[in-house]
This record gives sequence, C-alpha cells and structure tokens, in this order.
Amino acid sequence: MTHFASLLICVGAFAALAMATERAQQDVLERTLSRDATRALRIIGWALLLASLAIVVGAQGWGLGLVSYSGHTSVAAGLVFLGLIARQRRKG
Amino acid sequence: MSAPDHSPHATPDAASGTGARVPPAPRGLRQTMSDLHIWTGLLLGWFLFAMFLTGTVSYFKEELSQWMRPEIAHQADQPEAAVVAGRIAKTLETVAPGTTQWSLRLPDERHPIANAFWRVPPKDGAKRAFKDANFDPQTGLKVAARETPGGEFFYRFHFQFHYMPVAWGRWLAGLAAMFMLVAIVSGVITHKKIFTDFFTFRWGKGQRSWLDAHNALSVFGLPFHLMITYTGLVTLMTLYMPWPEMAGIESPAMKRQLTSEMNAFLQPAKPSGEAAPLASIEAMVREAERRWGPGSVARVTAANPGDAAARVAIARGEGGRLSMSPQYLLFDGVSGRVVEEKQGVGAAAETRGVMYGLHLGRFGDGATRWLYFLVSLAGTAMVGTGLVMWTVKRRQKLADPERPHLGFRIVERLNIAAIAGLPLAMAAMLWANRLLPLDLARRGEWEIHVVFIVWALALAHGVLRPPRRAWIELFALGAAALALLPVLNALTTDRPLWRSLAQGDWAFAGVELVGLAFAALLAGLARRVARHRLKGARPGRARAIGTPARPAADTAAAVEGAR
Repeated sequence: MTHFASLLICVGAFAALAMATERAQQDVLERTLSRDATRALRIIGWALLLASLAIVVGAQGWGLGLVSYSGHTSVAAGLVFLGLIARQRRKG
Repeated sequence: MSAPDHSPHATPDAASGTGARVPPAPRGLRQTMSDLHIWTGLLLGWFLFAMFLTGTVSYFKEELSQWMRPEIAHQADQPEAAVVAGRIAKTLETVAPGTTQWSLRLPDERHPIANAFWRVPPKDGAKRAFKDANFDPQTGLKVAARETPGGEFFYRFHFQFHYMPVAWGRWLAGLAAMFMLVAIVSGVITHKKIFTDFFTFRWGKGQRSWLDAHNALSVFGLPFHLMITYTGLVTLMTLYMPWPEMAGIESPAMKRQLTSEMNAFLQPAKPSGEAAPLASIEAMVREAERRWGPGSVARVTAANPGDAAARVAIARGEGGRLSMSPQYLLFDGVSGRVVEEKQGVGAAAETRGVMYGLHLGRFGDGATRWLYFLVSLAGTAMVGTGLVMWTVKRRQKLADPERPHLGFRIVERLNIAAIAGLPLAMAAMLWANRLLPLDLARRGEWEIHVVFIVWALALAHGVLRPPRRAWIELFALGAAALALLPVLNALTTDRPLWRSLAQGDWAFAGVELVGLAFAALLAGLARRVARHRLKGARPGRARAIGTPARPAADTAAAVEGAR
C-alpha cells in the first residue's frame, strides 16, 4: 500500500516537473505556460517528491524507506517519460 | 551518456586569447570525460551487459529455481519453522550419520523446500567433502528433484562467469565493475543538461534518439546504478583488497573472529569422542524466534552433532533488515542452552553488511524486489543502448558503409551476440531443464553447457549472417523460445500455466508470465529492426532488385531511425 501510494505521488510529482519544461509544454499543450505557472508546477513537483519521501520513510524507516523511495522515483520518472513519448507519438 | 562531437566546452582556455598563433584547442574536461566514458563503457561493455542481465533475473532466482524443479510441489502453507527444523534434524541423523557438521536452510515463502548439506566423513571414500539434499517440510523426508543448478546459475554467473577458475571470474567481474563505476561518473560529467533534458526524447532522430534513450535509462536509475556497482565491488572486497587482512590478521583465532563478523558459518571444533544425543532443535529455533520474531530463522547449523562437544548455531534470515551481517544464537548442542548471542557486528563490518544487503535486495517485500528488478533491467538497457550507440555514431562516418573497418565489425558482431544472443541462451537453459533426460549423467552441468553452446551458436550466427538479419533472427528466436515456454511446460510437466494460476502458485506462473513479457519485448525489437529496413528500402526499390541487397544497414541504424 505504501509502495503504491508513494509511486502514485511520484508519478504526479514528475508529471508536474515535466510540465515545467518548455519542451513538454509545447508537446502537450502546444503553447508555453507563463513563468508563474511554470514555477508553480516546479514547486508542486518538488513538494510532492518530498511528501512521498515522508510517507515512505514514515512507514518503513530510513533504511528500507530510502531504498524503496529510490525505486519509486526511478520507476515514476520512467512512467512519465513513456507517457510523454506516447503522447508525442499519438499526435504524430 | 551525452557525447557531443564538438563540445562547446572544449573552447581553448588560456592560450588562445593572446593573438599569437592559435595552438590546437586543448581538449575540455567534458570532451575528455566523454572519451573516457565511451571507451571504458565499450571495453568491458559486453561483460557488463551479461552481468547486468543475469544479475537482474537473479532477483528472482528462488522463483526460477522453483520452476526448474517441477517435482517439488507448490506448498500453499508452510508448517511452523521450528517443527520443520526438528523433523529434518531427526532425518539427518539417519541420512548423514557420523557427520561432523550439517547445515540446514529452512523453507520460506519464496523457497518452499528445505535443503541441507553435510560433511561426509573422510572414511566414506567419497571425492566430494560435502553432500546435500532437499527435504519436504511436511514430512521431513528427503525429496528427489531433477538435477539442476536452478536460478543459482544466473546468480553465480553474474559475478564469477563460468568455465574459468572462480577467482579469475571474480577478478574479471571486479574489473568490469570498476570500469562501470568510471563510466557512470564520467557519464554524469559528460551529460551537460541532466535537469533540462530530464524528460527529453526526440523520436526518429537517429543518433539523437539513441542518446536520449541512453540518458533516460541512465539518469532515472542513477541512484540504483551507482549503488549496485559500488556495493557489487564491496561484496568481493576481501578478494580484491586482501592486504589489510594479511597485515592485520595474524593468528588463527583472529581469523576465526574475522569470519564470525562476516558470516554465521560454524566451523566444527574438535569432537570430544564421547557420544551424547543432540538436544531439541525445535526448542532452539523457538528460542530464536522468541527473540527475533516468527519466521525469522533462516539456517540451522550443527557442529559435531551426537558428540558431547556439539554446538548448534541458529542464524537469522535477511528479511526485514538491510544488513547481511550475521546474527545468530549459539547453543550447546547437548544441554540446549544459549552459549553465545551474536546480535551485531562492529561498525566497519556493519557497513559492509549493509552494502552487501543493499546489493542483494533480499530484505525487501515483493514490491521492493520488483523495483530492484525493473530498475536493474533499465540498467541492462542502459549498457545495451550504450553499446549500440558506439556503432550508430560511427556508422555515419564510415568511409565505405558497405565495408566497415575491422574494429567496427567486431563491435557490431559482439553486440549482436551479447544483446540478442544472451537472452536466447538464457531461455535455452529453461528449455534444457525440461528436455534433457532426467537420468543424464551430470545433468545439471549439461543445462549450463547448453547455455554456452547456444550462446556460441548465436555468436557464429551474428558473424556469418548480415548484421541486420542476425539481429532480427536472434531477437525473433529468443522471443519464440520464451513465448513457447508455457507450451513446453504444459507438455512436459503436470503443472501447466492455467493450473498454477488457479492454485495461486505465483512463483511458477510468474516465471512463465515474465517470460511472455520478455518475449513480447524481444519480438518488438525484432519488428522494429525489420520495419526500419522496409522504410529505408522503399525509395530505392529498383536498386534493391538490381543490386545485392544493401548489406546490413545494420540494426543499430535500423532501430535508430525506426518510427
């Protein structure tokens, strides 16, 4: 359960961080977001990453928690990456 | 990672601004690191690929072993560990009479069968000093299963290879790991825009796409890749750096103390020669579980059982704790009283224990193991894409693409044999496990020979066929071998996939399902390579007919531009 929650939050976090990049904004929205919106996305992304870390470490302790967290972030980043590619491909 | 051909950072520094004759621009740090990355990555890249792939599947070696011993029935629920230990200890009295030592691994969730090994008294005349057997936890009796190394083979291979002395293999693995470490660090320095390009993937841009993929695979798993490489070296550090031990450990007593910091293996002392029955093993395991919790005992080792000097060590398992450092209770084998309790080790030994534990990942639950597996697979792909990129980059610069130079051809063919050949060879082992006659002499060894025979054939295939065809055929063959595994299993055992699924036997079903997933992956790669060819050939149809088919626009390039 912790794994799932943390992974989900990490996916959200990386999605926000990805959308804070100009390239992803162009790909997904076909326009660039304002500087404030971009900064907000970046803050949300990092905050979610920290929240997920807190949840995992709270549930599993620092040792096991950090190991799990490192796995969640890696897999989540990979999922967002694949999502962006899929999106890019569907548009043609 | 990123290896720019013209690094903007390689601009001349001090000397150029003087107005005098401009000396050739000194190579910038990034360019130097890029070269280092490329060559350390390439030189032992094929070993690294093999180490990564076999290491990745080793996270499920218990499940593989279960699949490879289909005679051992799926155990829906396990009897109590203490009861099992007591039962098997009784059996061992008759199976291994007069032994000076036996060691019993208790069953757990992932390893449903107990196994024990014991020292054979020298008078037996047996060549091997140890014998081993599997025991049914329900009855405590010996069970027969086919002779197979099981998933253990992949695990051993990933750090000591095969057909060479163990020490050589481990040195080679250590060298490869050092190269990997250098490649990771130099790769990070070379990669200019880790954060800006974090999510960047440019589809269908040839070398650019390969680079983006290689970067993503590397960067997302970076904590893992660094950790696994470094801790991998730590697991064998006493082999690689024996000098501190040689300098500091002078007496046999100190040597024994060192050993006890590293593992819970109990060396038998001299027997007294006076017979005395072994106290209840069941009670000892219960005592250990009282301290560590139920299901925490992994191994029971008895030294001089049946002698008045008997000792029994009950060792704690790896579940739920990061460290691999030994924790055990030592009992007087006759009175059954605790004589020593090893609850922890010194700080240095514990550091090693934690790093060892991190590498093996045995502490984790199922989800953690899957995370290890997936990120490790990304690491495998990182090495694979890196190897292929070496050829992609150089193909464009070949003077005559029809006749690449020798170095290029060697790298290209070795890439085929490693990346497309190894999965096929590994699948071949599972086929051999089902198809080799059960009474074949040295059957277990033959399963391994099959791996290398198939791998050698894959190399030959890669050398003899045009590269593009070789990629497609080997990927397709690997996909077929894995996809047909459930069929093979249904025909050769009475445990077909649907029955395993119905019984909730996830270890058995999981091996076949993951095999299917890998089959899909390999088939996808084969298809990608094949389709790229079609696209490339379309404009020049006449030429394709008139002249011999363009040899080997080679997969690397094939996948590279595929859409």
